[in-house]
Amino acid sequence: MTRMVQKTTSYERFVHWMMAISGITLLLTGFGFLYQNELGWINTVFGGQHVARLIHNWVGVVFTVSVILSMGVWLGEALSWSGEDSEWMGMLGGYLSKDLEPPPQGKLNAGQKLVVIVVVLCGLLIAASGFLMWLSPGSKNVMMWGHILHNLPFFVFAILIPIHIYLATAANPGTFRIMTKGWIPLYWAKKKHPKWVKEIGAD
Amino acid sequence: MTNTEKQRMMSGVDVGKKRKGLLITPELCIGCRACQTACKQWNRLPGDRTVNSGTYENPPRLTPHLFNKIHFIEKNSNVGVDWLFVRRSCMHCGQAGCMDICPAPGAIFRTKEGAVMYDKKKCIGCKLCVAACPFDVPRYDENDKISKCTLCSDRISNGLSTACAKACTTGAIKFSSRDGLIAGAKTAGYKVYGENDLKGLGVTFAIRESPEAYNLPDPTYNASIAFWDGFLRPFSVIGLGAAAAAALLHYITIGPKEVEPEDESGKGGE
Repeated sequence: MTRMVQKTTSYERFVHWMMAISGITLLLTGFGFLYQNELGWINTVFGGQHVARLIHNWVGVVFTVSVILSMGVWLGEALSWSGEDSEWMGMLGGYLSKDLEPPPQGKLNAGQKLVVIVVVLCGLLIAASGFLMWLSPGSKNVMMWGHILHNLPFFVFAILIPIHIYLATAANPGTFRIMTKGWIPLYWAKKKHPKWVKEIGAD
Repeated sequence: MTNTEKQRMMSGVDVGKKRKGLLITPELCIGCRACQTACKQWNRLPGDRTVNSGTYENPPRLTPHLFNKIHFIEKNSNVGVDWLFVRRSCMHCGQAGCMDICPAPGAIFRTKEGAVMYDKKKCIGCKLCVAACPFDVPRYDENDKISKCTLCSDRISNGLSTACAKACTTGAIKFSSRDGLIAGAKTAGYKVYGENDLKGLGVTFAIRESPEAYNLPDPTYNASIAFWDGFLRPFSVIGLGAAAAAALLHYITIGPKEVEPEDESGKGGE
């Protein structure tokens, strides 16, 4: 039998799925609003513009909660940035060549840490601006600032999330198990997260 | 598409020679407000409870049921006060911030006459149009739907003039082809407000003094709308596509990083 280690608790997986489902729903309905004539059909799938607006607003509440919860789950780890993380970043994780071997990583690799930091920052910004526009649409300044501060993080998410999904699925076979069962083979963990394996004393 | 044809295109609609407009001549206005009444009558708008604001101007501002009103400017003069009457309503901008920022398909659109028209059924009530308007025009009705002047689109698409212009007894509100109205005002020696602002306002003013004297603003297309429309909006879509394309390209060229179980039997650690 292959020895297995637990990479994520059920609570961690719950928070990640909460964010993933709500975030993708928001991204899709958001694109429907962004290019109304070209992509408005997306929101037909969500029951038309009126329903899509309601879904966008209320799923935004779920997303906001998931951002706050995710700060508790991952932010501490993400902010513990080491020299090896900078090195990892410098070689873009070694993804640009089959032969490049990135330096040993902890529980989260540098790329995942960056994702956490960016998602938390952009998530808080997009949530705050969203609630401002939703709850106080009277003020011209609030609306115009809210609009631009909502669309800036949207732009970041539109690029970051596909890359994050690709790297966590097709680009690194085996990674997706962390989000489903939470258990990974020890040999896999040693290869991808050697510092973490040492930390938990599994080797 | 030739250059002239491009200029005729407005929000994807070829308004060309068909662009209709209003010409307001404040010095001809006698403040009778027949236009306000005619507008209410044609558009079947209920009366609003109003308040005495200390002037003859009434109601004090546009409401969801008041698309068109005469703004009274009082200036002290040697004998009593001088009055200037200036019409307030949607200006049917050539570059309409409300239409660009609106996230609901078809909720605000341009008619073939160049009017900025709306469909209440499609309005999702976000009020971004209110924020984007440089003239403080759009209002929201009791059902939280946009409400404003339509340039009587239902009338003008059938060859009639707008209700306000039809009711105006002095010619202070004229409805016709926009180019013709502006040319006429210039021939008569007026300065024209709104000829080139925001790619040409649909409602232009024939004035003698500076626009400020008539409380007419220097309208600007909001910089954040321009940044969003010209950069964030397209690059969100292009960015998503580029990220997906880059991922696919990476997968088929460099390929995924597999971890083989054999690694375990080897050194096992670092």
